[in-house]
Amino acid sequence: MAFKQTRLRVPHGIGPTKENRRIRSCSSSRRRRGRRGRKRMESQLNFNIENSFDSCYSYCARQALDELPHSFTITDPSISGHPIVFASKGFLKVFGYTKDEVVGKNGRVFQGPKTDRKSVMEIREAIREERSMQINLLNYRKDGTPFWMLFHLSPVFSKQDGRVIHFVGVQVPISPPRRPRWLASGVVRNGANMCEEVDRVCGNTNIMFGSCRREVCSDTPVELSRVLALESVLDDSSRGLGIEETCEASKLERQKAEDAINKIFSVLTRHSELTGRFVCAERHSLPGAGILSSSLNISLGRIKQSFVLTDPHLPDMPIVYASDAFLRLTGYARNEVLGHNCRFLSGADTDFSTLYQIKESIQTEQACTVRILNYRKDKSSFWNYLHMSPVRNASGKVAYFVGVQIEEGCKNQDRNGLCPEMRHCSVVGAVKVAVRSLSMGAGPSRS
Amino acid sequence: MVTVKQVEDDNLVSKGAIPEQLKCPRFCFRDIRIPLYRFSSQSLLDDSPFEGHVCIPEDEQSALDSLLLAQWEDKMWKGVLRYDVTTSEIKVIFGRRKFIAQLNERLGMDYVPKPEPDKICGQGNLSEFQWTKHQEEFLFYVASGEMAIPELIPSAAMPDGAVLIIINEIPVEYGHVFLVPCGPDSLAQVLDTKSLEMVARFAVEINNCSFRLFYDCPTAGTSHRYFEACYFPSPLPVELTPVDTFFHERRRGMRISAVTDFPIKTLLFESNKKFKRMVEVLVEICCQLQEKSIPYNLLISDCGKKIFLFLQMQNMANSGTLSAWECGGYFLFQSRSEFDQATEETMLNKLRDVSLDDEGFQVVKELCCSIADKFAA
Repeated sequence: MAFKQTRLRVPHGIGPTKENRRIRSCSSSRRRRGRRGRKRMESQLNFNIENSFDSCYSYCARQALDELPHSFTITDPSISGHPIVFASKGFLKVFGYTKDEVVGKNGRVFQGPKTDRKSVMEIREAIREERSMQINLLNYRKDGTPFWMLFHLSPVFSKQDGRVIHFVGVQVPISPPRRPRWLASGVVRNGANMCEEVDRVCGNTNIMFGSCRREVCSDTPVELSRVLALESVLDDSSRGLGIEETCEASKLERQKAEDAINKIFSVLTRHSELTGRFVCAERHSLPGAGILSSSLNISLGRIKQSFVLTDPHLPDMPIVYASDAFLRLTGYARNEVLGHNCRFLSGADTDFSTLYQIKESIQTEQACTVRILNYRKDKSSFWNYLHMSPVRNASGKVAYFVGVQIEEGCKNQDRNGLCPEMRHCSVVGAVKVAVRSLSMGAGPSRS
Repeated sequence: MVTVKQVEDDNLVSKGAIPEQLKCPRFCFRDIRIPLYRFSSQSLLDDSPFEGHVCIPEDEQSALDSLLLAQWEDKMWKGVLRYDVTTSEIKVIFGRRKFIAQLNERLGMDYVPKPEPDKICGQGNLSEFQWTKHQEEFLFYVASGEMAIPELIPSAAMPDGAVLIIINEIPVEYGHVFLVPCGPDSLAQVLDTKSLEMVARFAVEINNCSFRLFYDCPTAGTSHRYFEACYFPSPLPVELTPVDTFFHERRRGMRISAVTDFPIKTLLFESNKKFKRMVEVLVEICCQLQEKSIPYNLLISDCGKKIFLFLQMQNMANSGTLSAWECGGYFLFQSRSEFDQATEETMLNKLRDVSLDDEGFQVVKELCCSIADKFAA
């Protein structure tokens, strides 16, 4: 996967460069770290992304979708970073990228300095509430040119457990509107004439502003000056109105988006029957017990340490979330740990009294820190410096327990310079913030 | 590799004569050693477009975010806080605006009318006892830095121009802290550019959409300038309300809008370039508001990209003003009955009652344009 290196090369721990992407899990005699480990991480991510699509709709669906002319992407909220797992041919054409440059990226890379922050927030809220929405949005092509499009977002639900499996995003480019004459002549406000640099804008204009732009294209000086030149041309071409003035999608464009969504969903539902996954465009059942909302998945995906979330309200308190780092540490695959109690980590020499201590803390809804001997999938053991804490949702009651694992005795350098106790706390804090908004009901509350 | 630096203390505090300012009781800060987070040398003052800093990862927790959450959770576990705020129930009040209500019965019991920083940083001598008591509430310092990337120094004395982060032991939400600028003129009552820049920079580097920063204009009796911040679980109603732009300076990318159809008069400041210019304009506006005795509050949200300015009624007595999060639409209730009976209408009235009137709002909008013009020239 082509991953453009745009950050500063930093020798220290803080920073997201390749040098600092170390695997948290320690090297035992059987495992290697360093470049091979990183390559393994990347290939694991690539595999997850491909598998996300293929396991649900089968490989044949790719062909069927490629026959559609529309521009659209499919993203997976359960993979860390909420990446694109499929981009249509139409999308690549409209935006000017190749498939490898797009798959694995988050949708924000197509936003830029003039994209309206409020629209970005509305999209985020729609994702959080797992509902469809349409919005006019300014995006940027690979060559840096901005353009308006109608963005239509639709979640893909699993028929069986009501969970959101993917989000489909359709992009319908909007043709620029004809400028009304009174605006073209210049804007006058309170008797003051508009000057070149300072624009006073009357009325309801929806100008967009700065989300930071992830550079997917090259940002050499040549490119940059081209972008700036283009933007100034666009600004001057219409007196008082630049590319920033909002474009409303026409009825025809809205219809195009609806058509696209329908066609895409028909392909996806048909193919999902073949794989047995059965998806649908609307939620048919409330999410089953132990299913996390996509927004919680996305929030938790930002935490790069090893941790799990367990649900004390379900029988045998199973794991409902496991971070990628946890899977790397223990050697298990995600489907092998979800739905299971953590006791599979214990083994022959695990101390009973420590297990009892953990159990007691859970029952009294207290946090605890212990050192416990755990076992990986390959039966090798490691000392787990474990911190467990109850996590409450909007009702104020305990919704989950979070368990943070730090492998002792290994060269576990935290990129943020925090000591192990602090690392425990930073994970717990981030999880608490993420879970706090869950189950926030409206109206009178008696839960 | 970990970027922890073992730096000699003396380097951090300037050698030479002790400045006059440090002779006040705050001077005791020198002996308090807590972690120090230094921003990278890349600053917001650049002419370059306000892009995401290269040092702040987009898809994972930033270093500053980890540090703040870690320290906060640690203090909570050690019992520094009076209560666990996550046990307080929150809900959305039924209605179009989606006001948020929190039931916090403990707040009433422990409520301290004067915020902590006044006790620590106010005039007058503080006894040894008070210093040790408050020391555990100090989390870390934040200061500007020289390196290309941010640095975390595990233990340091207070450097010049630092902002001290103090935990709020009676939190409104998770992560509630005070940010106290400790520069030479921090005893001044007026908002200044340097503090607002530092604090906005802080929000940018936290890079967490849940994180909001607040500032309530100083009321009579407040002797020290400070900001507050915490993590709110969902968007605040004011952030969801449409805006109407009335000033847009394209070249410097500054835009001032009025929030439409919101019960309290609110302005929104945004800038995607020359951020420093916007800060200067905003500070000037706030100074003028203070001179006119118009109470105001600031809310910094969207990772530092949006600054809301709430305008309250001209109030000579300067009493009974709302806090910034209330202006934003997040309300606290101390009794179960109040919490259950809260309606959107009562919240709307609460905000309308303290809001600046239409006429005053027009005057403020004109003021903003003229100050922004002045700085644009």
